[in-house]
Amino acid sequence: MEQAVRRIPTSLWRTASEGIIDIILNSSNADNMPSDLAKTILYYWQRDQLATEVGLQRLLEAAMRLEPEKTIGFVEELGLPELVVILRQSAKA
Amino acid sequence: MLVVRDLVEFGIEFVPRDLYWKTTYYAIQAEKCGFDYLWITDHFNNRNVYVSLGVVATYTDKIKFGPGVTNPYLVHPIVTAQAVCSLNEIAPGRVVCGIGVGDRTTLNMVNVPQSSPLATIRESVKIIREISSGGDVQHKGEIYNISGARFNFRVRNKIPIFIGAQGPKMLSLAAELGDGVLINASHPKDVENAKQFIHQGVRIANRDPSEVKVAVYTSFSVAEDPKKATKAVLPVVAYIVAGCPEVILQRHGISKESSAEILAAISHEKWKDAFSRVTPEMIEAFSICGTPEQCIEKIRNLLRIGVTQFVAGSPIGPDMRRSIALIGQNILPTFR
Repeated sequence: MEQAVRRIPTSLWRTASEGIIDIILNSSNADNMPSDLAKTILYYWQRDQLATEVGLQRLLEAAMRLEPEKTIGFVEELGLPELVVILRQSAKA
Repeated sequence: MLVVRDLVEFGIEFVPRDLYWKTTYYAIQAEKCGFDYLWITDHFNNRNVYVSLGVVATYTDKIKFGPGVTNPYLVHPIVTAQAVCSLNEIAPGRVVCGIGVGDRTTLNMVNVPQSSPLATIRESVKIIREISSGGDVQHKGEIYNISGARFNFRVRNKIPIFIGAQGPKMLSLAAELGDGVLINASHPKDVENAKQFIHQGVRIANRDPSEVKVAVYTSFSVAEDPKKATKAVLPVVAYIVAGCPEVILQRHGISKESSAEILAAISHEKWKDAFSRVTPEMIEAFSICGTPEQCIEKIRNLLRIGVTQFVAGSPIGPDMRRSIALIGQNILPTFR
């Protein structure tokens, strides 16, 4: 996810993090969230670091586990085709 | 005009039906938005309140929190004291203890009667206070018999006790004993009614009224679209009306027949039927819902009659994250 997040321009970090959080919180697969990943996300949230490179990495990781198609759709809406390609590849792997 | 901005505190209530990390996410958000208190409900069929609060304690820094409310029928007051005092070690000075007689529906599921409610609460509060202040508890009462219980650890500060109360006698007792009273109400008429019994308790105990905090637990729903806010609160209002004592229904001009019809529909799990019977008058009486502007007006009406803590209770809104954000951005600043 490190490479993937670098495709998101800084100006979109806030929008991206909020959109991905919505996907995660409203996911019907939320049970599949690994507890260690959840705790890492809470750690970054407490410190206002979800809209940073490291925060977005963890959020994308979680969103791709829970809702890969919705996440890719959201990234498409953000207008980030290169990231879409990376995410599609990671979903297949 | 009453100036409330220096007096009022804001609380939020969560039901730990959600996964622990979701509840904790919202707790962190509530703290960032400026809420003063977080209350987590205690029902055996949801996630454990103290486990939930333990995680919240770890990921928050300022917000005060506690069970809202636990009950002494399923949890012995000694164990409640142990739990809140242990939490206080993780979050010193931020823990409060909400206690009441509990929810009849869930207690019925495990065949636990709400017997001698006044004596049970009176003795429970006394026991929690004594043991958490470091003393040996020697208690021989109508309900509990304890000889020489004490903690093997030190509790650094007093844990305020809020007593959940509905009926006249419990409201009076709560004001007599509690650091605060928690009332389930969303309408000024119900709060006005409760306040007369709170005043009674204050007089009995010869206390200064300002010593007793009055927190109202409301059924709250906020959204930019008022229709969505209303839709989210419908199920909660249906349940309230279905279980509401006749005297309260009368206060709001709601017939007992309409309450019985909703109860019958709920009992038969005919949810659509039940919710379709909820009228705008019922929503007005038993919830605070609408746009932020509409909610602000309704909150003001409650604060004018001496409420010291406004608690935004379930459902909060159609989308929890967005609704908490709306409260933080549009509602709380009005009162700060």
